[in-house]
Amino acid sequence: MSFIEVKEVSKTFKVNKRSAGIPGMIANMFVPKFENKKAVDGISFDIESGEMVGFIGPNGAGKSTTIKMLSGILCPDSGSISVNSYVPYRQRKEYVAGIGVVFGQKSQLQWDLPVIDSFELLKAIYRIPEEMYKKNLKRYTDMLDMGGFINQPVRQLSLGQRMRSDIVASLLHSPKIVFFDEPTIGVDVIGKETIRSFIRELNEKDKITMIFTTHDMQDIEQTCKRILIIDKGSLLYDGSLQEIRNKYGTTRQLIAEFNEDTEVTPIENVMIGDPKDRKRSFTFDNSVVDVNALMHEILGKYSIRDITVTEPEIETIIRKIYNKEVFA
Amino acid sequence: MKMKAYMAFAKKSFLQKSAYRMEHWMGILNTLIRLVIYVEIYRALYGAREAVDGITMSMVTTNFILSLGMESFFVVDDFYLSYRIGNGSIASEMLLPVSFHGRMLADNLGTAAFKLIFHFIPAMLVAVLFIGISAPAGAASMGLFVLSVLFGYGVLWSISFMFQMFSFWLINVWAIMTIKNVFINVLSGAMIPLWFMPESMKNVIKFTPFESIYFTPVQIYLGKITGAEIAGGFIKQIIWIVCLLGIGMILWHKGQKKLVVQGG
Repeated sequence: MSFIEVKEVSKTFKVNKRSAGIPGMIANMFVPKFENKKAVDGISFDIESGEMVGFIGPNGAGKSTTIKMLSGILCPDSGSISVNSYVPYRQRKEYVAGIGVVFGQKSQLQWDLPVIDSFELLKAIYRIPEEMYKKNLKRYTDMLDMGGFINQPVRQLSLGQRMRSDIVASLLHSPKIVFFDEPTIGVDVIGKETIRSFIRELNEKDKITMIFTTHDMQDIEQTCKRILIIDKGSLLYDGSLQEIRNKYGTTRQLIAEFNEDTEVTPIENVMIGDPKDRKRSFTFDNSVVDVNALMHEILGKYSIRDITVTEPEIETIIRKIYNKEVFA
Repeated sequence: MKMKAYMAFAKKSFLQKSAYRMEHWMGILNTLIRLVIYVEIYRALYGAREAVDGITMSMVTTNFILSLGMESFFVVDDFYLSYRIGNGSIASEMLLPVSFHGRMLADNLGTAAFKLIFHFIPAMLVAVLFIGISAPAGAASMGLFVLSVLFGYGVLWSISFMFQMFSFWLINVWAIMTIKNVFINVLSGAMIPLWFMPESMKNVIKFTPFESIYFTPVQIYLGKITGAEIAGGFIKQIIWIVCLLGIGMILWHKGQKKLVVQGG
Protein backbone atom coordinates (compact mmCIF):
# COMPACT_ATOMS: atom_id res chain seq x y z
CA MET A 1 0.00 0.00 0.00
CA SER A 2 1.39 3.34 -1.02
CA PHE A 3 1.80 6.24 1.34
CA ILE A 4 -0.73 8.33 -0.52
CA GLU A 5 -3.37 6.57 -2.59
CA VAL A 6 -5.87 8.47 -4.69
CA LYS A 7 -8.40 6.40 -6.60
CA GLU A 8 -10.88 7.71 -9.15
CA VAL A 9 -11.56 10.87 -7.17
CA SER A 10 -14.14 13.36 -8.46
CA LYS A 11 -15.50 16.58 -7.07
CA THR A 12 -18.26 18.67 -8.59
CA PHE A 13 -19.24 22.17 -7.57
CA LYS A 14 -22.63 23.63 -8.19
CA VAL A 15 -22.24 27.04 -9.74
CA ASN A 16 -25.05 29.55 -9.98
CA LYS A 17 -25.24 30.70 -13.55
CA ARG A 18 -27.12 33.84 -14.41
CA SER A 19 -27.26 35.97 -17.49
CA ALA A 20 -25.85 39.46 -17.32
CA GLY A 21 -27.59 42.66 -16.33
CA ILE A 22 -30.68 43.52 -14.32
CA PRO A 23 -33.12 41.24 -16.24
CA GLY A 24 -30.74 38.35 -15.62
CA MET A 25 -30.55 39.22 -11.95
CA ILE A 26 -34.33 39.37 -11.56
CA ALA A 27 -34.78 36.08 -13.40
CA ASN A 28 -32.17 34.55 -11.12
CA MET A 29 -34.03 35.72 -8.00
CA PHE A 30 -37.03 33.59 -8.91
CA VAL A 31 -35.67 30.78 -11.01
CA PRO A 32 -32.01 30.28 -10.20
CA LYS A 33 -30.12 28.21 -12.71
CA PHE A 34 -27.28 26.01 -11.61
CA GLU A 35 -24.54 24.44 -13.54
CA ASN A 36 -22.43 21.56 -12.32
CA LYS A 37 -18.77 22.23 -12.73
CA LYS A 38 -16.50 19.22 -12.50
CA ALA A 39 -13.43 20.52 -10.70
CA VAL A 40 -11.80 17.11 -10.44
CA ASP A 41 -12.84 14.29 -12.72
CA GLY A 42 -11.66 10.78 -11.87
CA ILE A 43 -8.05 11.35 -10.84
CA SER A 44 -5.93 8.44 -9.61
CA PHE A 45 -2.30 8.38 -8.50
CA ASP A 46 0.00 6.95 -5.83
CA ILE A 47 2.78 8.71 -4.01
CA GLU A 48 5.45 6.96 -1.95
CA SER A 49 6.85 8.16 1.34
CA GLY A 50 9.64 10.70 0.94
CA GLU A 51 8.72 11.66 -2.60
CA MET A 52 8.58 15.22 -3.80
CA VAL A 53 5.87 15.69 -6.36
CA GLY A 54 4.96 18.77 -8.36
CA PHE A 55 1.38 19.43 -9.38
CA ILE A 56 1.08 21.64 -12.39
CA GLY A 57 -1.73 22.79 -14.57
CA PRO A 58 -3.34 26.00 -15.79
CA ASN A 59 -5.59 28.11 -13.55
CA GLY A 60 -8.80 26.31 -12.69
CA ALA A 61 -7.36 22.91 -13.57
CA GLY A 62 -8.33 21.39 -10.24
CA LYS A 63 -4.96 21.45 -8.48
CA SER A 64 -6.09 23.33 -5.40
CA THR A 65 -9.25 21.28 -5.14
CA THR A 66 -7.15 18.11 -5.19
CA ILE A 67 -4.83 19.51 -2.51
CA LYS A 68 -7.84 20.49 -0.42
CA MET A 69 -9.24 16.98 -0.69
CA LEU A 70 -5.87 15.48 0.19
CA SER A 71 -5.61 17.69 3.24
CA GLY A 72 -9.06 16.82 4.55
CA ILE A 73 -10.78 20.15 3.95
CA LEU A 74 -13.04 19.06 1.13
CA CYS A 75 -14.88 15.81 0.82
CA PRO A 76 -14.70 14.05 -2.57
CA ASP A 77 -18.03 13.22 -4.25
CA SER A 78 -16.77 9.83 -5.33
CA GLY A 79 -13.58 7.82 -5.25
CA SER A 80 -11.30 7.20 -2.30
CA ILE A 81 -8.29 8.86 -0.76
CA SER A 82 -5.97 7.36 1.79
CA VAL A 83 -2.92 9.10 3.16
CA ASN A 84 -0.63 7.36 5.64
CA SER A 85 -3.59 4.96 6.16
CA TYR A 86 -5.93 7.80 7.18
CA VAL A 87 -9.02 8.81 5.24
CA PRO A 88 -8.44 12.59 5.35
CA TYR A 89 -12.02 13.89 5.23
CA ARG A 90 -13.31 11.27 7.63
CA GLN A 91 -10.58 11.34 10.26
CA ARG A 92 -9.85 15.02 9.84
CA LYS A 93 -8.78 15.89 13.39
CA GLU A 94 -6.34 13.00 13.84
CA TYR A 95 -5.09 13.27 10.28
CA VAL A 96 -4.30 16.99 10.17
CA ALA A 97 -2.21 16.68 13.34
CA GLY A 98 0.42 14.93 11.21
CA ILE A 99 0.41 17.10 8.10
CA GLY A 100 1.45 20.63 7.22
CA VAL A 101 -0.19 22.84 4.61
CA VAL A 102 0.94 26.14 3.17
CA PHE A 103 -1.50 28.15 1.08
CA GLY A 104 0.47 30.80 -0.74
CA GLN A 105 -2.63 32.89 -1.24
CA LYS A 106 -3.94 32.63 2.29
CA SER A 107 -1.96 33.23 5.40
CA GLN A 108 -2.72 31.00 8.33
CA LEU A 109 -1.03 33.32 10.79
CA GLN A 110 -2.80 35.68 13.16
CA TRP A 111 -2.96 38.96 11.29
CA ASP A 112 -2.62 41.25 14.30
CA LEU A 113 -0.11 39.28 16.32
CA PRO A 114 3.68 39.09 16.02
CA VAL A 115 4.83 36.01 14.11
CA ILE A 116 6.28 34.42 17.24
CA ASP A 117 2.89 34.66 19.01
CA SER A 118 1.25 32.74 16.17
CA PHE A 119 3.93 30.10 16.55
CA GLU A 120 3.28 29.89 20.28
CA LEU A 121 -0.42 29.43 19.59
CA LEU A 122 0.36 26.62 17.15
CA LYS A 123 2.56 25.03 19.79
CA ALA A 124 -0.45 24.86 22.10
CA ILE A 125 -2.85 23.71 19.37
CA TYR A 126 -0.64 20.89 18.13
CA ARG A 127 0.63 20.17 21.65
CA ILE A 128 4.21 20.28 20.45
CA PRO A 129 6.68 19.22 23.17
CA GLU A 130 8.85 22.09 24.39
CA GLU A 131 12.18 20.65 23.16
CA MET A 132 10.86 19.78 19.72
CA TYR A 133 9.31 23.22 19.39
CA LYS A 134 12.55 25.00 20.37
CA LYS A 135 14.65 22.82 18.10
CA ASN A 136 12.38 23.21 15.06
CA LEU A 137 11.89 26.92 15.60
CA LYS A 138 15.61 27.59 15.85
CA ARG A 139 16.50 25.39 12.90
CA TYR A 140 13.86 26.72 10.51
CA THR A 141 14.12 30.39 11.43
CA ASP A 142 17.89 30.17 10.95
CA MET A 143 17.53 28.42 7.61
CA LEU A 144 15.05 30.98 6.34
CA ASP A 145 16.80 33.90 7.99
CA MET A 146 13.78 35.11 9.92
CA GLY A 147 15.48 36.61 12.98
CA GLY A 148 14.88 40.15 11.77
CA PHE A 149 11.10 40.07 11.68
CA ILE A 150 9.92 37.32 13.98
CA ASN A 151 8.71 39.87 16.53
CA GLN A 152 6.80 41.99 14.02
CA PRO A 153 3.03 41.76 13.54
CA VAL A 154 2.12 39.76 10.44
CA ARG A 155 0.30 42.69 8.85
CA GLN A 156 3.60 44.63 8.68
CA LEU A 157 5.51 41.92 6.84
CA SER A 158 6.40 41.87 3.16
CA LEU A 159 4.92 39.08 1.10
CA GLY A 160 8.20 37.16 1.05
CA GLN A 161 8.60 37.42 4.82
CA ARG A 162 5.01 36.36 5.38
CA MET A 163 5.46 33.36 3.12
CA ARG A 164 8.56 32.25 4.99
CA SER A 165 6.67 32.61 8.27
CA ASP A 166 3.78 30.56 6.92
CA ILE A 167 6.17 27.84 5.81
CA VAL A 168 7.77 27.62 9.25
CA ALA A 169 4.31 27.61 10.85
CA SER A 170 3.38 24.54 8.82
CA LEU A 171 6.49 22.65 9.93
CA LEU A 172 6.70 23.31 13.67
CA HIS A 173 4.92 20.09 14.59
CA SER A 174 7.30 17.99 12.43
CA PRO A 175 4.69 16.76 9.94
CA LYS A 176 5.38 13.72 7.77
CA ILE A 177 3.71 15.27 4.73
CA VAL A 178 3.62 18.87 3.66
CA PHE A 179 1.37 20.32 0.99
CA PHE A 180 2.52 23.53 -0.63
CA ASP A 181 -0.10 25.36 -2.67
CA GLU A 182 1.79 27.98 -4.68
CA PRO A 183 4.39 28.74 -2.04
CA THR A 184 6.37 31.13 -4.23
CA ILE A 185 3.50 33.21 -5.59
CA GLY A 186 4.42 36.88 -5.65
CA VAL A 187 7.84 36.31 -4.10
CA ASP A 188 10.93 37.92 -5.64
CA VAL A 189 13.76 35.96 -7.27
CA ILE A 190 15.99 35.76 -4.20
CA GLY A 191 13.07 34.86 -1.97
CA LYS A 192 12.01 32.10 -4.35
CA GLU A 193 15.52 30.71 -4.34
CA THR A 194 15.61 30.65 -0.53
CA ILE A 195 12.27 28.88 -0.37
CA ARG A 196 13.24 26.33 -3.00
CA SER A 197 16.52 25.37 -1.42
CA PHE A 198 14.82 25.16 1.98
CA ILE A 199 12.18 22.81 0.62
CA ARG A 200 14.79 20.72 -1.16
CA GLU A 201 16.86 20.36 1.97
CA LEU A 202 13.87 19.29 4.06
CA ASN A 203 12.94 16.66 1.54
CA GLU A 204 16.47 15.30 1.25
CA LYS A 205 17.51 15.41 4.91
CA ASP A 206 14.25 14.84 6.75
CA LYS A 207 12.56 12.67 4.11
CA ILE A 208 9.37 14.69 4.41
CA THR A 209 6.90 13.80 1.66
CA MET A 210 6.01 16.93 -0.25
CA ILE A 211 3.37 17.88 -2.72
CA PHE A 212 3.74 21.11 -4.44
CA THR A 213 1.53 23.18 -6.78
CA THR A 214 2.90 26.10 -8.70
CA HIS A 215 2.80 28.00 -11.96
CA ASP A 216 6.51 28.66 -11.86
CA MET A 217 8.31 25.93 -13.80
CA GLN A 218 11.59 26.87 -12.19
CA ASP A 219 10.13 25.79 -8.86
CA ILE A 220 9.42 22.40 -10.32
CA GLU A 221 12.70 22.06 -12.18
CA GLN A 222 14.71 22.82 -9.09
CA THR A 223 12.76 20.77 -6.59
CA CYS A 224 10.66 17.96 -7.97
CA LYS A 225 11.69 14.78 -9.65
CA ARG A 226 8.17 13.76 -10.48
CA ILE A 227 5.36 15.84 -11.87
CA LEU A 228 1.64 15.41 -12.31
CA ILE A 229 0.02 17.55 -14.96
CA ILE A 230 -3.67 18.24 -14.46
CA ASP A 231 -6.04 20.06 -16.73
CA LYS A 232 -9.81 20.38 -16.66
CA GLY A 233 -9.92 17.99 -13.74
CA SER A 234 -8.12 15.09 -15.38
CA LEU A 235 -4.60 13.83 -15.13
CA LEU A 236 -2.67 14.46 -18.35
CA TYR A 237 0.75 13.26 -17.31
CA ASP A 238 2.36 11.44 -14.42
CA GLY A 239 6.09 10.88 -14.58
CA SER A 240 9.50 12.42 -14.26
CA LEU A 241 10.50 15.76 -15.61
CA GLN A 242 13.44 14.18 -17.44
CA GLU A 243 11.07 11.84 -19.25
CA ILE A 244 9.04 14.76 -20.53
CA ARG A 245 12.17 16.36 -21.83
CA ASN A 246 13.31 13.17 -23.53
CA LYS A 247 9.94 12.54 -25.04
CA TYR A 248 8.79 15.94 -26.14
CA GLY A 249 11.85 18.11 -25.85
CA THR A 250 13.67 16.63 -28.83
CA THR A 251 13.20 19.69 -31.00
CA ARG A 252 16.36 21.74 -31.37
CA GLN A 253 16.88 25.04 -33.03
CA LEU A 254 20.15 25.97 -34.61
CA ILE A 255 20.65 29.61 -35.43
CA ALA A 256 23.42 30.55 -37.82
CA GLU A 257 24.56 34.08 -38.55
CA PHE A 258 26.09 34.43 -42.01
CA ASN A 259 28.85 36.80 -43.01
CA GLU A 260 26.93 37.91 -46.07
CA ASP A 261 23.45 37.44 -47.54
CA THR A 262 23.38 33.83 -48.68
CA GLU A 263 20.86 31.57 -50.34
CA VAL A 264 20.54 28.26 -48.51
CA THR A 265 19.80 24.96 -50.19
CA PRO A 266 17.19 22.81 -48.47
CA ILE A 267 18.36 20.09 -46.07
CA GLU A 268 16.41 16.91 -45.47
CA ASN A 269 14.23 16.83 -42.29
CA VAL A 270 15.23 20.36 -41.34
CA MET A 271 12.93 23.35 -41.38
CA ILE A 272 14.75 26.45 -42.50
CA GLY A 273 13.43 29.82 -41.42
CA ASP A 274 13.35 33.03 -43.42
CA PRO A 275 16.47 35.16 -43.23
CA LYS A 276 16.50 37.99 -40.70
CA ASP A 277 19.54 40.26 -40.23
CA ARG A 278 21.59 37.61 -42.02
CA LYS A 279 20.41 35.05 -39.49
CA ARG A 280 18.56 31.88 -40.29
CA SER A 281 17.03 29.28 -38.04
CA PHE A 282 17.26 25.55 -38.67
CA THR A 283 14.66 23.60 -36.70
CA PHE A 284 14.99 19.85 -36.43
CA ASP A 285 14.29 16.86 -34.28
CA ASN A 286 17.49 15.63 -32.71
CA SER A 287 16.31 12.05 -32.73
CA VAL A 288 16.12 12.24 -36.53
CA VAL A 289 18.88 14.62 -37.50
CA ASP A 290 22.35 14.39 -36.07
CA VAL A 291 23.33 17.79 -34.79
CA ASN A 292 27.02 17.19 -35.51
CA ALA A 293 26.45 16.33 -39.14
CA LEU A 294 24.16 19.29 -39.61
CA MET A 295 26.67 21.73 -38.17
CA HIS A 296 29.38 20.20 -40.24
CA GLU A 297 27.33 20.65 -43.36
CA ILE A 298 26.43 24.27 -42.63
CA LEU A 299 29.94 25.25 -41.57
CA GLY A 300 31.44 23.56 -44.63
CA LYS A 301 29.07 25.10 -47.14
CA TYR A 302 28.72 28.64 -45.96
CA SER A 303 30.75 31.41 -44.43
CA ILE A 304 29.42 31.54 -40.87
CA ARG A 305 30.04 34.20 -38.25
CA ASP A 306 28.22 32.70 -35.27
CA ILE A 307 26.27 29.58 -34.47
CA THR A 308 24.07 28.59 -31.49
CA VAL A 309 21.94 25.56 -30.65
CA THR A 310 19.02 25.91 -28.26
CA GLU A 311 16.93 23.36 -26.48
CA PRO A 312 13.24 24.17 -25.83
CA GLU A 313 12.32 25.54 -22.42
CA ILE A 314 10.35 23.19 -20.22
CA GLU A 315 7.63 25.85 -20.21
CA THR A 316 7.23 25.50 -23.94
CA ILE A 317 6.78 21.78 -23.63
CA ILE A 318 4.24 22.16 -20.85
CA ARG A 319 2.36 24.72 -22.88
CA LYS A 320 2.20 22.24 -25.72
CA ILE A 321 0.80 19.62 -23.39
CA TYR A 322 -1.84 22.07 -22.12
CA ASN A 323 -2.79 22.96 -25.67
CA LYS A 324 -2.97 19.27 -26.58
CA GLU A 325 -0.36 19.78 -29.29
CA VAL A 326 1.40 16.76 -27.88
CA PHE A 327 -0.23 14.04 -25.88
CA ALA A 328 1.33 12.90 -22.69
CA MET B 1 -3.86 17.45 27.65
CA LYS B 2 -6.23 18.24 24.90
CA MET B 3 -7.82 21.10 26.87
CA LYS B 4 -4.61 23.08 26.51
CA ALA B 5 -5.28 23.82 22.86
CA TYR B 6 -8.77 25.10 23.62
CA MET B 7 -7.47 27.11 26.57
CA ALA B 8 -5.04 28.78 24.19
CA PHE B 9 -7.93 29.81 21.92
CA ALA B 10 -9.92 31.12 24.86
CA LYS B 11 -6.96 33.08 26.16
CA LYS B 12 -6.33 34.59 22.75
CA SER B 13 -9.89 35.81 22.35
CA PHE B 14 -9.83 37.11 25.95
CA LEU B 15 -6.75 39.17 25.12
CA GLN B 16 -8.06 40.32 21.75
CA LYS B 17 -11.20 41.62 23.40
CA SER B 18 -9.20 43.97 25.56
CA ALA B 19 -7.90 45.76 22.46
CA TYR B 20 -11.18 47.54 21.83
CA ARG B 21 -11.60 49.73 24.91
CA MET B 22 -14.07 52.27 23.56
CA GLU B 23 -16.45 49.60 22.35
CA HIS B 24 -16.23 48.04 25.75
CA TRP B 25 -17.23 51.18 27.70
CA MET B 26 -20.05 51.79 25.26
CA GLY B 27 -21.25 48.25 25.86
CA ILE B 28 -21.59 48.85 29.59
CA LEU B 29 -23.42 52.11 28.92
CA ASN B 30 -25.75 50.29 26.53
CA THR B 31 -26.66 47.70 29.18
CA LEU B 32 -27.36 50.41 31.77
CA ILE B 33 -29.44 52.56 29.42
CA ARG B 34 -31.62 49.62 28.41
CA LEU B 35 -32.01 48.63 32.01
CA VAL B 36 -33.14 52.09 33.06
CA ILE B 37 -35.59 52.35 30.14
CA TYR B 38 -37.18 48.95 30.80
CA VAL B 39 -37.45 49.58 34.54
CA GLU B 40 -38.92 53.06 34.07
CA ILE B 41 -41.56 51.78 31.64
CA TYR B 42 -42.74 49.24 34.19
CA ARG B 43 -42.57 51.78 37.02
CA ALA B 44 -44.93 54.01 35.00
CA LEU B 45 -47.23 51.08 34.23
CA TYR B 46 -47.30 50.01 37.88
CA GLY B 47 -48.09 53.55 39.10
CA ALA B 48 -49.03 53.32 42.74
CA ARG B 49 -49.87 49.61 42.66
CA GLU B 50 -47.98 47.25 44.92
CA ALA B 51 -48.26 44.19 42.73
CA VAL B 52 -49.85 43.03 39.48
CA ASP B 53 -50.96 39.39 39.34
CA GLY B 54 -48.81 38.80 42.42
CA ILE B 55 -45.68 40.20 40.76
CA THR B 56 -44.14 43.09 42.65
CA MET B 57 -42.24 45.95 41.06
CA SER B 58 -39.05 44.81 42.73
CA MET B 59 -39.43 41.37 41.11
CA VAL B 60 -39.75 43.06 37.73
CA THR B 61 -36.64 45.14 38.39
CA THR B 62 -34.75 42.04 39.50
CA ASN B 63 -35.84 40.21 36.36
CA PHE B 64 -34.42 42.97 34.19
CA ILE B 65 -31.17 43.34 36.12
CA LEU B 66 -30.51 39.61 36.04
CA SER B 67 -31.58 39.09 32.42
CA LEU B 68 -29.61 42.01 31.05
CA GLY B 69 -26.70 41.08 33.30
CA MET B 70 -26.67 37.55 31.88
CA GLU B 71 -27.10 38.87 28.37
CA SER B 72 -24.01 41.05 28.85
CA PHE B 73 -21.71 38.04 29.09
CA PHE B 74 -23.71 35.39 27.21
CA VAL B 75 -21.41 35.64 24.21
CA VAL B 76 -22.42 33.94 20.99
CA ASP B 77 -21.08 34.83 17.58
CA ASP B 78 -23.88 34.12 15.12
CA PHE B 79 -21.61 34.74 12.16
CA TYR B 80 -18.57 32.76 13.25
CA LEU B 81 -19.02 30.05 10.63
CA SER B 82 -20.58 32.12 7.84
CA TYR B 83 -17.75 34.67 8.08
CA ARG B 84 -15.18 31.92 7.68
CA ILE B 85 -17.02 30.29 4.80
CA GLY B 86 -17.58 33.67 3.17
CA ASN B 87 -13.92 34.62 3.05
CA GLY B 88 -12.52 31.12 2.62
CA SER B 89 -10.60 31.03 5.91
CA ILE B 90 -12.61 27.93 6.82
CA ALA B 91 -9.84 26.08 4.94
CA SER B 92 -7.22 27.11 7.49
CA GLU B 93 -9.57 26.30 10.36
CA MET B 94 -10.12 22.79 9.07
CA LEU B 95 -6.37 22.23 9.01
CA LEU B 96 -6.09 22.60 12.76
CA PRO B 97 -6.19 19.34 14.70
CA VAL B 98 -9.04 20.49 16.93
CA SER B 99 -12.79 20.24 16.65
CA PHE B 100 -14.28 23.26 14.95
CA HIS B 101 -17.14 23.47 17.45
CA GLY B 102 -14.80 23.18 20.38
CA ARG B 103 -12.71 25.97 18.98
CA MET B 104 -15.78 28.15 18.41
CA LEU B 105 -16.96 27.53 21.96
CA ALA B 106 -13.49 28.24 23.35
CA ASP B 107 -13.35 31.53 21.44
CA ASN B 108 -16.79 32.50 22.73
CA LEU B 109 -15.96 31.50 26.30
CA GLY B 110 -12.75 33.52 26.24
CA THR B 111 -14.75 36.58 25.26
CA ALA B 112 -17.46 35.66 27.77
CA ALA B 113 -14.88 35.52 30.57
CA PHE B 114 -13.69 38.97 29.60
CA LYS B 115 -17.24 40.29 29.52
CA LEU B 116 -18.07 38.68 32.84
CA ILE B 117 -15.23 40.49 34.58
CA PHE B 118 -15.24 43.81 32.79
CA HIS B 119 -18.84 44.24 31.68
CA PHE B 120 -21.12 42.21 33.91
CA ILE B 121 -19.49 43.09 37.24
CA PRO B 122 -19.28 46.88 36.75
CA ALA B 123 -22.77 47.04 35.23
CA MET B 124 -24.17 44.94 38.09
CA LEU B 125 -22.52 47.12 40.72
CA VAL B 126 -24.05 50.26 39.23
CA ALA B 127 -27.45 48.60 38.85
CA VAL B 128 -27.52 47.17 42.37
CA LEU B 129 -26.36 50.43 43.95
CA PHE B 130 -28.60 52.82 42.03
CA ILE B 131 -31.66 50.75 41.14
CA GLY B 132 -31.68 48.02 43.77
CA ILE B 133 -32.28 44.30 43.43
CA SER B 134 -34.20 41.76 45.50
CA ALA B 135 -32.09 39.38 47.53
CA PRO B 136 -32.06 35.76 46.32
CA ALA B 137 -34.70 33.54 47.91
CA GLY B 138 -32.01 31.67 49.83
CA ALA B 139 -28.48 30.29 49.71
CA ALA B 140 -29.69 27.15 47.90
CA SER B 141 -31.61 29.27 45.37
CA MET B 142 -28.45 31.26 44.74
CA GLY B 143 -26.42 28.11 44.07
CA LEU B 144 -29.06 26.62 41.79
CA PHE B 145 -29.39 29.99 40.07
CA VAL B 146 -25.69 29.99 39.14
CA LEU B 147 -25.99 26.43 37.82
CA SER B 148 -29.02 27.25 35.71
CA VAL B 149 -27.25 30.36 34.36
CA LEU B 150 -24.60 28.02 32.96
CA PHE B 151 -27.26 25.85 31.33
CA GLY B 152 -29.04 28.97 30.12
CA TYR B 153 -25.90 29.97 28.29
CA GLY B 154 -25.70 26.45 26.91
CA VAL B 155 -29.20 26.78 25.45
CA LEU B 156 -28.47 30.17 23.89
CA TRP B 157 -25.20 28.89 22.43
CA SER B 158 -26.82 25.75 21.05
CA ILE B 159 -29.57 27.73 19.30
CA SER B 160 -26.95 29.88 17.60
CA PHE B 161 -24.87 26.79 16.80
CA MET B 162 -27.75 25.07 15.06
CA PHE B 163 -28.72 28.11 13.02
CA GLN B 164 -25.10 28.78 12.06
CA MET B 165 -24.97 25.45 10.26
CA PHE B 166 -27.22 26.89 7.56
CA SER B 167 -24.17 28.91 6.49
CA PHE B 168 -23.05 25.92 4.43
CA TRP B 169 -26.05 26.33 2.14
CA LEU B 170 -26.77 30.03 2.37
CA ILE B 171 -23.35 31.58 3.06
CA ASN B 172 -25.15 34.74 4.22
CA VAL B 173 -27.22 33.95 7.30
CA TRP B 174 -27.94 37.50 8.42
CA ALA B 175 -31.68 37.24 7.81
CA ILE B 176 -32.13 33.96 9.69
CA MET B 177 -30.08 35.24 12.60
CA THR B 178 -32.12 38.42 12.81
CA ILE B 179 -35.37 36.46 12.95
CA LYS B 180 -33.89 34.11 15.53
CA ASN B 181 -32.79 37.03 17.68
CA VAL B 182 -36.21 38.68 17.54
CA PHE B 183 -37.69 35.46 18.93
CA ILE B 184 -35.08 35.33 21.65
CA ASN B 185 -35.62 38.95 22.61
CA VAL B 186 -39.39 38.71 22.83
CA LEU B 187 -39.86 35.20 24.15
CA SER B 188 -36.96 34.83 26.59
CA GLY B 189 -38.27 37.35 29.10
CA ALA B 190 -35.38 39.75 28.69
CA MET B 191 -37.67 42.42 27.23
CA ILE B 192 -41.11 41.46 28.56
CA PRO B 193 -41.11 39.41 31.77
CA LEU B 194 -42.87 36.19 30.87
CA TRP B 195 -45.20 36.53 33.90
CA PHE B 196 -47.13 39.15 31.94
CA MET B 197 -47.58 37.09 28.80
CA PRO B 198 -51.17 36.04 28.12
CA GLU B 199 -51.95 32.47 29.13
CA SER B 200 -52.17 31.26 25.52
CA MET B 201 -48.71 32.70 24.78
CA LYS B 202 -47.27 31.06 27.89
CA ASN B 203 -48.53 27.71 26.67
CA VAL B 204 -46.69 28.17 23.40
CA ILE B 205 -43.50 29.45 25.02
CA LYS B 206 -43.44 26.39 27.27
CA PHE B 207 -42.59 24.32 24.22
CA THR B 208 -39.75 26.55 23.01
CA PRO B 209 -36.18 26.75 24.28
CA PHE B 210 -36.39 30.51 24.80
CA GLU B 211 -37.62 30.60 28.42
CA SER B 212 -34.76 28.30 29.41
CA ILE B 213 -32.21 30.98 28.62
CA TYR B 214 -32.87 33.83 31.04
CA PHE B 215 -36.26 33.23 32.61
CA THR B 216 -35.62 29.87 34.31
CA PRO B 217 -32.57 31.22 36.19
CA VAL B 218 -34.54 34.33 37.25
CA GLN B 219 -37.44 32.18 38.51
CA ILE B 220 -35.03 30.11 40.57
CA TYR B 221 -33.29 33.20 41.98
CA LEU B 222 -36.56 34.75 43.07
CA GLY B 223 -37.84 31.48 44.51
CA LYS B 224 -40.85 31.60 42.18
CA ILE B 225 -40.39 27.96 41.42
CA THR B 226 -39.37 25.30 43.90
CA GLY B 227 -38.57 21.63 44.23
CA ALA B 228 -39.91 19.60 41.34
CA GLU B 229 -40.38 22.72 39.21
CA ILE B 230 -36.68 23.56 39.55
CA ALA B 231 -35.77 20.01 38.56
CA GLY B 232 -38.16 20.34 35.62
CA GLY B 233 -36.45 23.59 34.60
CA PHE B 234 -33.03 21.93 34.59
CA ILE B 235 -34.29 18.91 32.67
CA LYS B 236 -35.80 21.18 30.04
CA GLN B 237 -32.57 23.12 29.69
CA ILE B 238 -30.56 19.93 29.26
CA ILE B 239 -33.03 18.43 26.78
CA TRP B 240 -32.88 21.57 24.67
CA ILE B 241 -29.09 21.65 24.68
CA VAL B 242 -28.89 18.00 23.64
CA CYS B 243 -31.54 18.36 20.90
CA LEU B 244 -30.18 21.58 19.41
CA LEU B 245 -26.58 20.38 19.43
CA GLY B 246 -27.68 17.05 17.96
CA ILE B 247 -29.53 18.70 15.07
CA GLY B 248 -26.61 21.09 14.63
CA MET B 249 -24.16 18.20 14.38
CA ILE B 250 -26.29 16.42 11.78
CA LEU B 251 -26.40 19.61 9.74
CA TRP B 252 -22.64 20.05 10.23
CA HIS B 253 -21.90 16.63 8.77
CA LYS B 254 -24.22 17.22 5.84
CA GLY B 255 -22.86 20.71 5.29
CA GLN B 256 -19.22 19.70 5.39
CA LYS B 257 -19.79 17.60 2.28
CA LYS B 258 -21.27 20.64 0.57
CA LEU B 259 -18.45 22.91 1.64
CA VAL B 260 -17.08 25.14 -1.06
CA VAL B 261 -13.89 27.02 -0.28
CA GLN B 262 -14.20 30.44 -1.79
CA GLY B 263 -11.24 32.04 -3.49
CA GLY B 264 -7.98 30.31 -4.45
